[in-house]
Amino acid sequence: MSNSFNDILDMARQGEAKRMIVSAPVPADILLLEEASAAGLIFPCFVGDGKTIRSLIKGTPMTAGKYELVEENDSGQILAKALDVFHSSGDILLQGGIPAQEFLNSLQDKDHGMITRGGLVSFVSVFSFSKQEKLILLTDTFINNHPTLVKKQQILSNVLQLARTLGIAEPKTAVLAAIEQVNPKIPSTLDAAILSKMAERKQFQQAIVEGPLDIDCTLSQLAAERKGVKSSVTGNADIYLVPEIDTGYLLAEALVFFGGMRMAGVVMGTVKPVILHLPFVSRRDGIVEIALACLLSGKGGKNG
Amino acid sequence: MIRSLEDFTRLAQERGPKELAVLAPEDEEFMKAVKMSWERGYIEPVLIGDIKKMEAAAEKVSFHIDRFKKISRTGQQAISDLGISMLFSGKIPIASKGQIPTSYIYRSIIREEAKADSGMTVSVISFWDIPGIDHLMAFTDTGVNIKPDIKTKAEIIKNAVFVFHLMGYPKPKIAVLSGQREVGGMLASYKDYEVLKKTADAGGFGACEFVAATSFTEIFLGAGHSDIKRDGIPHILVVPCLDTGNILCKLDFFLDVTRSSLVATSRGPVCIPARSDFSDNIVQQLAMCVVLAAEMKKEIN
Repeated sequence: MSNSFNDILDMARQGEAKRMIVSAPVPADILLLEEASAAGLIFPCFVGDGKTIRSLIKGTPMTAGKYELVEENDSGQILAKALDVFHSSGDILLQGGIPAQEFLNSLQDKDHGMITRGGLVSFVSVFSFSKQEKLILLTDTFINNHPTLVKKQQILSNVLQLARTLGIAEPKTAVLAAIEQVNPKIPSTLDAAILSKMAERKQFQQAIVEGPLDIDCTLSQLAAERKGVKSSVTGNADIYLVPEIDTGYLLAEALVFFGGMRMAGVVMGTVKPVILHLPFVSRRDGIVEIALACLLSGKGGKNG
Repeated sequence: MIRSLEDFTRLAQERGPKELAVLAPEDEEFMKAVKMSWERGYIEPVLIGDIKKMEAAAEKVSFHIDRFKKISRTGQQAISDLGISMLFSGKIPIASKGQIPTSYIYRSIIREEAKADSGMTVSVISFWDIPGIDHLMAFTDTGVNIKPDIKTKAEIIKNAVFVFHLMGYPKPKIAVLSGQREVGGMLASYKDYEVLKKTADAGGFGACEFVAATSFTEIFLGAGHSDIKRDGIPHILVVPCLDTGNILCKLDFFLDVTRSSLVATSRGPVCIPARSDFSDNIVQQLAMCVVLAAEMKKEIN
């Protein structure tokens, strides 16, 4: 089981190198990919304007033979080309220099067939918990604004899949809300209660889902006891499911900026792993994002 | 200027003791907090609740409550109504909740505000004392309004600005928070920011300054994502909704920050420790209310 970012890196290194497609790379990508490539995680394949990419690579440790280049000189076609290559022969897709919204739109476009059947693309922030040797998965922190109950079900299924990939056999989920009681005036508490009940009936397989839980009951078993909440999730949650994006995005940021915690992001719900760049993920944790994508990509790469 | 929660505890000793209606201190942790606050000279408690339960809690923490005024009441709403009506009728300057859900207290306050025809929107302000930052920062509204509309958010801002003025900040900096980011279109919370900023720029919130940032990334890294601008951290963070506010403000269970919350009412602060708070934290919150009640009295006189 992975308890830290180092565990994730170690686990990913045990697999074979994955073929990573990078659309319109930017300078920061080159350094990161060189590091990931040296660690044996990936073999990069750049898609974009040949001249631009060659000049980017010049002067970096990335040498010939360590990457592949698929030239597409029409800037309007780079993403489509990258998706084609990814579809046919890639293991992982990296956003590169494509604007995030354009990149997401393409992924979500049904014609591209990038989403799992009946699935939903969602985003998980993986945190290396500073106070315990433990990883926390927070979702959805980037993609879905105000998910309905049906979408929350899918967001939960997505994050459970990630938790299982990380070796957590029976993930403990806290469905967060402002209060721990079910209050019909606070819709998040209703959704939380329903998800919790669904889990009780094994609709999410082996998973413990508790909700609604406020953040104090989630973080502290003692606080939960004083409020009369008895659950194996309190004080020990692996997954935090937020009600909507205002909470998700701001909570992820607060943990990074006020808590000094390290974060790596994961896109879930796509047929093959995709990496999206968030403005507040530090460069050193970019390698963890690649490692997570490698783990989701499973055994056997195209360039082993 | 009050820069830290420690400033509040120091000043509470100077400004106290103030009479404080304590609503149902029927739990050890609350009674211990009442004991400590009284010993430090912050408060003179008036204990309202089930006398037997209060006596049992007091005995557990070796606190002799014979010398204090006690009012017998049973039922959470009845206890709350009595304490809050004492605050609104001017019989006591501060009220604090004990081990009863805060929703009862809010209900009592909202009823009293309506009776008084004050036009006041009741809101909760949760302060954070953050190591390395030389001023207090507050999230609001973290307790009452589930999904405040723009008009309510404006009132929530006015309440917080009023409290920061009382604390000696002549021009508090305000950020209206939102999950707005480079994807997902425009969020309602971001539209609210745009409208509120216009109101602020036109002087609608009195002396204060709106920052052009709605996320922590923008607050900490600025537009260029270059360096942490800790001195630029706002004083007041207006949260989009109750879920966000409550979840963010209680991250003190997790982070190296100390939290202290109060309800802003037209008649003074009401102390609302969470039912999961511990005695040290409750004492801190009582000290804050004692100081603010004193400042508010000065302001009115």
